[in-house]
Amino acid sequence: MEVEISRRKFLQGTVAMSVVGATALSTTNLLSNEHGHAGTKGHAPKSITTKTGTGKAENIPFLCGICVNKCAGFARVEDGVVTKLNPNPYFPKSRNMLCARGNAGIQTMYDPDRLKYPMIRIGQRGDGKFKRVTWDEAYEAILNGTDKFKGLKQILDEEKDNRATIGYCNGEGLSKEGFEVLVGEKIGTPNYVDEISICLETTLGGYVNTIGTYGEADLNNADYLIIAGANRAEAIITPDTMDLFKRSKGRGLKTIVLDPRFTNTSAKADRWYAINPGTDLAFVLALTYVVMNENLYDNDFLTKHGVGFEDYKNHILSKKYTPEWAEKITNIPAKEIYKTAREFMAARSPIYYQGRRSVFSKNDFQLRRAMAIFQALSGNLDKKGGIVYGKKLALPKEEINVPMYAQVEPRFDGKGIAIPAGKTGSWIQFRNMVLDGTAPYPVRAMLMRKHNPMSGVPNAKKTEAFLKKMDLNVMIDILPSDTTMFCDVILPEASYLERTSPVATYGGLEPAIVMRKQAAKPLFETREPEVIYKELAEKLSKPLWEITKKYDEDVQDDTDGMSEAEIEEYYEENGFNLADAWEKPVYEANKEMVEAKFGEEAWKTLDEKGVYYPDMDKYHKQLNPNEFQYYPENKKNYTTQGDKLKVTINFKNLAKKGIDPMPAWKDEWNFSVPEGQFRLVTGRHAQFTQSGTTNNLMLRDLIPTNYIWINKRVAEQKNIAFGDMVEVKSNIGAVKIKAYPTEKIAPNQIFMLHGFGGSSEEMEIAYGNGANDALIIEDKIEPVYGAAVMHETNVEIRKV
Amino acid sequence: MARYGMALDYKNCINCKACEVACKEENGVLLGADKHRIWVGQNEVKGEWPLLDIASAAFLPSQCQHCDDAPCQEVCPTHATYYDENHVVRVNSDKCILCSYCMNACPYDARYVDDRTMTVDKCTFCSDTRLARGETTTACQNTCPTKVRIFGDLDDPNSEISEVLRTREHFSLKSHLGTKPKLFYLT
Repeated sequence: MEVEISRRKFLQGTVAMSVVGATALSTTNLLSNEHGHAGTKGHAPKSITTKTGTGKAENIPFLCGICVNKCAGFARVEDGVVTKLNPNPYFPKSRNMLCARGNAGIQTMYDPDRLKYPMIRIGQRGDGKFKRVTWDEAYEAILNGTDKFKGLKQILDEEKDNRATIGYCNGEGLSKEGFEVLVGEKIGTPNYVDEISICLETTLGGYVNTIGTYGEADLNNADYLIIAGANRAEAIITPDTMDLFKRSKGRGLKTIVLDPRFTNTSAKADRWYAINPGTDLAFVLALTYVVMNENLYDNDFLTKHGVGFEDYKNHILSKKYTPEWAEKITNIPAKEIYKTAREFMAARSPIYYQGRRSVFSKNDFQLRRAMAIFQALSGNLDKKGGIVYGKKLALPKEEINVPMYAQVEPRFDGKGIAIPAGKTGSWIQFRNMVLDGTAPYPVRAMLMRKHNPMSGVPNAKKTEAFLKKMDLNVMIDILPSDTTMFCDVILPEASYLERTSPVATYGGLEPAIVMRKQAAKPLFETREPEVIYKELAEKLSKPLWEITKKYDEDVQDDTDGMSEAEIEEYYEENGFNLADAWEKPVYEANKEMVEAKFGEEAWKTLDEKGVYYPDMDKYHKQLNPNEFQYYPENKKNYTTQGDKLKVTINFKNLAKKGIDPMPAWKDEWNFSVPEGQFRLVTGRHAQFTQSGTTNNLMLRDLIPTNYIWINKRVAEQKNIAFGDMVEVKSNIGAVKIKAYPTEKIAPNQIFMLHGFGGSSEEMEIAYGNGANDALIIEDKIEPVYGAAVMHETNVEIRKV
Repeated sequence: MARYGMALDYKNCINCKACEVACKEENGVLLGADKHRIWVGQNEVKGEWPLLDIASAAFLPSQCQHCDDAPCQEVCPTHATYYDENHVVRVNSDKCILCSYCMNACPYDARYVDDRTMTVDKCTFCSDTRLARGETTTACQNTCPTKVRIFGDLDDPNSEISEVLRTREHFSLKSHLGTKPKLFYLT
């Protein structure tokens, strides 16, 4: 396939471009047809890849922003152009590596389809007609609206200053918190949703509520690993991925993989068990049964740290969660379960990997509790080779002057949910209640940043209807995503290579603080997120204050009889000046904070190397061309808890919320698929980060599209060959996708990669490529947090 | 003056393709699956679900083997393919006439046509980028998450690669052809 595309399009705005095998270019208003860019500060290279030179270059430390990991690197910059991203050998978390996506970050920065200017909608919602405006005009449109949509001022006036009528969502990253400060704290709405409730919420909740932390698996020193439903070869987590696969395959870390499909992680396993989707809990309960029945547990450890161990032992034995029982549910032979349980407890340093990932089934919270307890049965917690708690270098908490609004109503999406997450909410429940009118008050605006619910949240049709119901949608992002196309005001952000970000701290065995520095000037008219927050806050502050004064009785009581000057003072003192949270540019704020906390030398190190930790100059050294020492062995934080360590096995308070206080199986969770149907499983791979990278030319080169995996023998019966187009249909929708017949999946299941099938015509590479699983995954939630469950949808398939 | 080679701890490889991307970005290689200087080979797993042969799904990183007795160099009618001072097999694009003899002669399928110059291109061990700047690693080695690759001077007894080849068992690809590859797969 010919995919070399000139940078001309990028430099000249919309110029026709053809990609063989991709859809033809649509005519568009989005990027406008204007040539020349007076506002351009940075500039793009002339070809897609640039051979690095031998002359002058700068190496700027950056933190990768292409996924959640935040690996460290150095950007090679030649004549203002980023020509190469190299790994940073100083950061203990990323251990001197960048993955394929990290290397391809250049292509995201120089993506020809990037959002280049602020824009406002001039057509109907979703038809893609926008006009280029100045930044001030864009902020003005958010405040006052246009003839096509309402602004925040009118909405809040009509809603009598009930700030909760503004919703907002946010994607993860180093500038995430600033957006939460702007919309959540300063503008003052509680209605926030983000990636947590469509990702790993039950994993975090299950572990924190059981052993007090999610922890870090010390895979450098463990000798036995059960890794279930976590695909570390393809869903890379640093440093776990690097540590794990250097020691698998008979080199010290025996690796047992459970996954419904045969992944690249399975390919590195000593044993792979093709477990039925959603039945991991039965497997863990059966492992626990063997350990309890044969008294294989660490009695001393449990006596000292366990709460309710005897209750759990009685519970497991009396429920008869035997391997024979689990075999029928899980598809794993009973003798294999016996063997695995005994090997685990006989190992010196066994780990049942916590496995951050999306929530797959309704029992996921109980699964995580059972896994954490099982780990504790071995006693291998808070010690070398186990799940460790580590340490974190504390950064001073920024003081935010948070205004109090009397008219704001509480959030509503916790209805029917056992432990509603106070801050991050439930995406599905929030959206659905707004959509079906069961929310107690209207939500009329969505302020969004770096988040694409059209792809990420199950049931995209509902998300589309939800977005269309709004009076105002605002997006801050770098690419015209599917969600962006339903917005009224679009604010183009500088990509992660074009900005300095707030200092971050990463804890664990080898803690460090890190800083992303701007490698190149922002392209076109894009601006750094913190600049956008400040400018938008300045624009909104006084007009919204007028509305508060009009409706807020507390404010009226407080300011009664005050002079103009006194009211102004009150406004400043009580945080109603929305812009006061961004007094200094990020780089200066970082410098001040790090110097105050760690000293001037620390700042110099951080500024130059992108990484700092105490005694780094003494500890850090190169061991060989590939490996570095970050901390000496005796300084690693293997054991930090000591007597504080508590394992909550019988969690009695959960019962008050209607949740089993100890993990138990319910028959309704048994795996079954109606005849003629398939269970849809979804997942990730190492060359894409959800929908965020589907327009990346380099990565598209590695994975041209997503396929539906279907068992080879089933495909033969259905006369489906590789590359055939099939329709996949669930209760809520249907998609068309190419088939990949393989023995890597069970006859009653199918698999597709998440993140494909973009609907935004402005993303040339992503548009129409493959299928979007959010169109067919049913919007079901689990009962504890209201998190989306991804593997509970059955589908039919037919060749088309 | 060195004699560069590479050892591959190939069991570490997870087929993440970081090396392929780093290579393309460092060396300005064209996009396209047929324009890879380096790649990772993977076979469809053998067996029937759920009884699959895990060993049959191994990942094998490959590329130009920088043979000491390179068939590509032997057949080149214009001497475009040559050994540089570090024993790296290189192509002089000014001399290449795209007769494609070398592409046919290479037992490792390590050569491709660069559509910009219409000459044959291949792995250079980053000789004209990183090594030319005095760096000591190739782009693929440096970026690898699981550190599969060890690049270095085979003539230097103290180099990491020499040390590793002395102490660990290894094999070469298609060694029976007598090409004497300078890539070594560690077992």
